[in-house]
Amino acid sequence: MLRVAIVGCGKIADSHAWQMQRIPGCEIVGVCDREPLMARQFYERFPIQRHFSDLEDLLREAKPDVVHITTPPESHFALAKFCLERGCHVYVEKPFTLYEEDARQLIALAEQRRLKITAGHDDQFTHAARRMRALVESGYLGGDPVHMESYYCYEMSRSGYSGAVLSDKQHWVRRLPGKLLQNIISHGIARIAEHLTTDSPQVIAYGFSSPFLRTMGEREIIDELRVIIAEEERATAYFTFSSQMRPSLHQFRLYGPKNGLILDHDQETVIKLRGKRLVSYAEKFVPPMIFAKQYFANLAGNLRLFAGNDFHMKSGMKHLIESFYRSIVEGAPPPIPYREILLTARIMDSIFVQLDQNQLDRNQINGQERELRERCPMPLPSPLAD
Amino acid sequence: MEDQAYIIGRDDRILITGATGFIGFRLVESLLGLGFRNLRCFARPSSPSAKVEALLERGLGDARVEVVRGNLLSREDCRAAARDAAVIFHLAAARGEKSFPDAFANSVVTTRNLLDAAREQTTLRRFVSISSFSSYTNRQKRRWRLLDESSPVETHPDRLHDAYSFAKTKQDEIVTEYAQHFGVPAVIVRPGFVYGPGNPGISGRVGIGTFGIFLHLGGSNTIPFTYVDNCADAIALAGLQPGVEGEVFNVVDDDLPSSRRFLRLYKKNVKRFKSLYVPHALSYALCYLWERYSDWSMGQLPPSFDRGKWHTYWKKTNYSNVKAKTRLGWTPRVSTAEGLRRHFESCRQGEQLA
Repeated sequence: MLRVAIVGCGKIADSHAWQMQRIPGCEIVGVCDREPLMARQFYERFPIQRHFSDLEDLLREAKPDVVHITTPPESHFALAKFCLERGCHVYVEKPFTLYEEDARQLIALAEQRRLKITAGHDDQFTHAARRMRALVESGYLGGDPVHMESYYCYEMSRSGYSGAVLSDKQHWVRRLPGKLLQNIISHGIARIAEHLTTDSPQVIAYGFSSPFLRTMGEREIIDELRVIIAEEERATAYFTFSSQMRPSLHQFRLYGPKNGLILDHDQETVIKLRGKRLVSYAEKFVPPMIFAKQYFANLAGNLRLFAGNDFHMKSGMKHLIESFYRSIVEGAPPPIPYREILLTARIMDSIFVQLDQNQLDRNQINGQERELRERCPMPLPSPLAD
Repeated sequence: MEDQAYIIGRDDRILITGATGFIGFRLVESLLGLGFRNLRCFARPSSPSAKVEALLERGLGDARVEVVRGNLLSREDCRAAARDAAVIFHLAAARGEKSFPDAFANSVVTTRNLLDAAREQTTLRRFVSISSFSSYTNRQKRRWRLLDESSPVETHPDRLHDAYSFAKTKQDEIVTEYAQHFGVPAVIVRPGFVYGPGNPGISGRVGIGTFGIFLHLGGSNTIPFTYVDNCADAIALAGLQPGVEGEVFNVVDDDLPSSRRFLRLYKKNVKRFKSLYVPHALSYALCYLWERYSDWSMGQLPPSFDRGKWHTYWKKTNYSNVKAKTRLGWTPRVSTAEGLRRHFESCRQGEQLA
């Protein structure tokens, strides 16, 4: 029986506990939160043996084999390091760390201690994501990916989580290097990283605060992001994060030299895109029928999974946790290759550095423009749309 | 009423958390109406500026209304808010929160922080905590289905599938614990469904629109309405009347309408829409099946409906306001007929703007 502990008793910890209950061969031996009341409420609602408010006490007394870190991201590095140093395998919720360098150190430490570590990129382990991976591995694309498009959108509103971030200038999300983006986009970036073959792709990022945020006087948070990722003379990718476009997509499009695939995370569908064209009017009538058939097959598959009681909202998390535990018990490679975790972190670092630079440039231009306007009574054209 | 009738003087400091909220705003008006002149209103940083300004405007004249912005999750903010307070009205809570940890943090951790800050004040005379009817189990069938302050509360909140009810029950527990162990002079007020301009829509006790068509679940049930001004008056008195420390007060108005009557009036006065009546036996059976399937499937279907929720919201129940009337000297100053008229008018205006 694998002894598991959870550190951080907030919202996402609930999802971990729910999924762990569905995994045979593991037990939650302890939970820990700096706020004792939070640890206690968690302990009272799930079959958990003990609760703690000090991590050292948890590790010493509950003796877990694996620790799940489900705290806010700024504490991930220190907590994961502490647990690895005390001989525990570690599952770190996304985003893995704040910086690539931290991720590198954690992975090096895990390898040095012969322990396993993984990132909570559970969206890559949903039923649909696994079907897509199987198709890629079967050679459906006809070679290495040529181009990818990853959409990871988020409906921003004045209530709920985004409302809390927008209304609280001291919210922990604002202290992250990438602010709101850092806490959300890693799922969408990780999808691209999985299919990149080189370690240092070129990243070009452009981001801005949407009109929705600007009307609220919010300039600090960027909620519209477009990124181009390119491997030299190989695969390219577009990444889109938007709080305003509708539908609010969570989609991944993968194009190879022969065929393509579309994964829709919200609908849990995988659609094959045939590369070959049909002759004349056949191209107008046959493909829609083929798409209809594919959507029907996806519907039937989803219904089958639901009837088989294997279609939970966080089914990806269950599969990732299960695979991670299996890799620990059987000594197999971890479910997410370390190279992929590092590449995701590197791309995110690059995006946030560029966004910071863009913000500085914009402030500088605005400052210069203000100065010019003060000096010159004539109307000046706007140099940069904000 | 004379000063000595209340436990504090007119110039003693009163703290109101959640002061920009639906009830909090009216509570400030109630207290000012009673002649209290030293109010500190605690508001979240996210509270709309217009509401804060409206509160400050109430302070014109000889009354002093101060607005302190902060987060009750911060102990420092709680200390600053509670400083020199003689009475604390704690209304701030997590409403509409679906996540258990978030609801708990924003109801229980915040209450604990405020209680700790309150304990440090030698000036404290009363701590009024606002709870909810959802703290009662309402599973018993006794005394003509009457729910009053003596009715049993949920003893296993961990088994509840509703984050708000869970958090409110745990909040009551911690207030009671602080009263018993640290002598905090606490009073718990449990309002029914608070309605009036500013809280549009239909109570879930009447029915739900989750499945595309409005399912009328209340039927002939009495809905425990309390008009916002009446509720604010009762809360104010719970903080001011002597000799009620350690007590719990339910707040509902007189002449409560049935769910069916309310729905008919709403359709007539606000807007027409189709609704489907679901008899009590059927709604109970559906809640039971949902609960069983959710348990069996380990949450494949979220436990949104269960028998606990049915007992709380849709079981035929009668309500009493005798204790609030006799011990607090409270009477609803707005009749239910007038309250409903104002409520429907506000809903109608909201519909026109939408």
